[in-house]
Amino acid sequence: MEPILRIDDVVKKFGEVMALDHCSFDIQAGTITGLIGPNGAGKTTLFNLITGVLQPDQGHVYLGGEEITGKKPHEIAWRGVGRTYQIIRIFPKMTLLENLMVVGKGKERRMMERATDLLRLVRLEEKKNDYASDLSFGQQKLLSLAQVLMLDPQLILLDEPAAGINPTLQNELMALIHRLNEDGKTFIIVEHDMNVIMNHCQNAIALNYGQKIAEGSCSVIQRDERLLEHYFGR
Amino acid sequence: MKIRVGLSIAILMAFLISVPFFATDYWITLLTLILIFTVYASGWNLFSGLTGYTNFGLAWFIGVSGYVSSLLIADYHWLWLLAWPIGALFTGLVSIGVGYILLRIKGVYFAISMVALTEGTRELFGTEYLTPLTHGGKGVPFVAGIRLPTLYWSILLLAFITLILCYKIFSSKFGLRLIAIREDEQAAETLGIHTTKDKIIAFILSAFLVGLAGSIHFTYQNYIDPTFAFNIQLTLTPIVMALFGGVGTVFGPVIGATLFTFIHEILWAELTLLYMAIFGAILMGLILFFPQGLLGWMKEKGILPRSRKI
Amino acid sequence: MTNFIEILIRGLMLGSVYALVGMGLTLVWGVVGIVNIAHGEFVMLGAYFTFWAFSLLHLNPLVSVAFSIPVFFYGGMLIHKRITERLIKEQELSALILTFGMSILIWNLAQFFWTNTYRSVSYLTGNFPFMGIVLARSKTVSFALAVGITAVLFLFLKYSKLGKGIRATSQNSEVALVCGINTVKMRAITFGMGIALGGAAGAIVSLQWVIFPQMGGTYISKAFAIVVLGGLGNIQGALVGGLIIGVLESLVTQYLSAKMAQIIPSLTILIILLLRPTGLFKK
Repeated sequence: MEPILRIDDVVKKFGEVMALDHCSFDIQAGTITGLIGPNGAGKTTLFNLITGVLQPDQGHVYLGGEEITGKKPHEIAWRGVGRTYQIIRIFPKMTLLENLMVVGKGKERRMMERATDLLRLVRLEEKKNDYASDLSFGQQKLLSLAQVLMLDPQLILLDEPAAGINPTLQNELMALIHRLNEDGKTFIIVEHDMNVIMNHCQNAIALNYGQKIAEGSCSVIQRDERLLEHYFGR
Repeated sequence: MKIRVGLSIAILMAFLISVPFFATDYWITLLTLILIFTVYASGWNLFSGLTGYTNFGLAWFIGVSGYVSSLLIADYHWLWLLAWPIGALFTGLVSIGVGYILLRIKGVYFAISMVALTEGTRELFGTEYLTPLTHGGKGVPFVAGIRLPTLYWSILLLAFITLILCYKIFSSKFGLRLIAIREDEQAAETLGIHTTKDKIIAFILSAFLVGLAGSIHFTYQNYIDPTFAFNIQLTLTPIVMALFGGVGTVFGPVIGATLFTFIHEILWAELTLLYMAIFGAILMGLILFFPQGLLGWMKEKGILPRSRKI
Repeated sequence: MTNFIEILIRGLMLGSVYALVGMGLTLVWGVVGIVNIAHGEFVMLGAYFTFWAFSLLHLNPLVSVAFSIPVFFYGGMLIHKRITERLIKEQELSALILTFGMSILIWNLAQFFWTNTYRSVSYLTGNFPFMGIVLARSKTVSFALAVGITAVLFLFLKYSKLGKGIRATSQNSEVALVCGINTVKMRAITFGMGIALGGAAGAIVSLQWVIFPQMGGTYISKAFAIVVLGGLGNIQGALVGGLIIGVLESLVTQYLSAKMAQIIPSLTILIILLLRPTGLFKK
């Protein structure tokens, strides 16, 4: 079956630094994959490449069989790729409702309904007319996810979704992700918290120095020698 | 409530339209200037207030459109009614290219590049090479065959249209997308917003409106030359007006334009030489202590609703 | 051929002064994060400073150049502490508008108090022959002064503790903070240095050209072109950029026209920002 995402021999350099070094992997539709590796391994660069924020120096990116290498970010977004950021990037001077409405395309009323539904999904409906800057950190993370969902994407990239929020909210968030996954959405999650990866992801890909050093189901990764070596310096 | 607002607007417009019938030339002139700067300030605010790209090249729009229209009237004897929109259209069209090229540049650099564009164009118009077209830096005095009241009504109409446009855009999804560009352009892009397209549309709109007002402005002055047309003061004054009234509000620029034109009249009469110095000081004071402007402050304090429509 | 060399040398001499102005601007922009549009006005003030010292106190202009440095340094620090430091947390654009207002305030006050009458400092006059070309005394001395000040600046930045602190703050102010560098003080000092460079350049300029309130305008546009050419915050880049602008101006004035030479700064800015926004040189 055609993978929903294919990264094909991708290279990205910043001056002398090789951020991504001939990276290749496939992501199957409907999976939740963890993307792990130390800081600077190239995870965020990979996200930037997939979403079109950066162009690879070599290699290709395919979404559902179609090449998206070199396409603009807004085009890729509407082809079904949503993405959140490590440092939350919502629009602080807009209300929650506006934060979602600005994303949608189409008739105002339908977008309003959709936005309200999504706010209900993340349990922020009562605050819909509050300014996004008034929200707590965790609430902003949820808002960010809701924004992405306005695109109705098939592939969702989450950059450290669990970081900095309390365990209860974490569980809520992960439960939401599983629900969406059951509806058919594919996730790639960057996380440093190995528990999150092990408990919630089916597969994982490990990067270091821009190279893929391991790939497979989580249980296999857990036992991989090289990975443990890189991560824990054993 | 809506009927009351609509009625007030109708009464105000009726009053403004009737001004030439009872007021002296002095007052008609004053109002004309206020209206011209209202369009300048609102036009600037429409782009810069929403997208956050501070346009320091407003004088470029004004100068280009002003020159095209004035030369059409002076050298080719076109009617002002045609010359003005053609000047504005030309400016709008060229702005597509300028916007496409320069709007890739972010923040301060964009501001600087627009200044460079304005300065460069001014110098260019003054060189020998463009003389056949631009009279090479020498001024072009001309008469457009239009009476003051007609000029006044033209700019009144333009100002009215500009404000309605601003009102509609500020409360639309387009306006929201422009604000998203200001808040976080990259995040907006990855959320599917075609930032380049939206930026350029706002830019062209601003260019057209400001340019049209510029054409009217120079017809009113009966004179144009490069120093006059591409004068940094034409960029600065509308920005100060918008700042004073409230950048990013719909009616801030109008208030700023009205107040400042009156202040200008008073200061100019009393303190001609220090006028600009005071202006500079006011600008500094605004940025340091009052950056949100009058309407912004009123919204913060709750005197006005925090709606985007105002 | 001699003609060409003469033009080149003239351009370098011109450029050396432009470089001083540009280095001042890029220093403040890169380290403090403030785009000082009023920088040109400090060049103007430096020129007037020398003029008034010369006319009223009969002070040797060369001494004025030396004096201008501490005067403008402390003046700059004062301005920074009272005014520009407040905007550090704001966007760059607020500082841009603020300094814009300051620029207008300063040159209009200068115009008010000192009128538009052209002034000059007739101290070094006449030419002298040098290797087959004729050089003006005033320009040669100016060049020497500019080179001297630049050399001192570079030595200071490279070897002094303060200089290292400034370089650290310019590269990464958060890390600098953690390393115990007082970034607030560093910014004030750097701002002062930037203004001092502007004032000194103005003092030097007074030896060669006429002085009038609006003269800052040409210097600021050239300074911007230099900063953009050399790369933001890149002082060596600004030095080279200044020389390039000077030489270009000299060449274009000679082979095209003085009016065409006026377009150089604007054209440079637009071209560089479009093609190589980080400047010609690596940091």
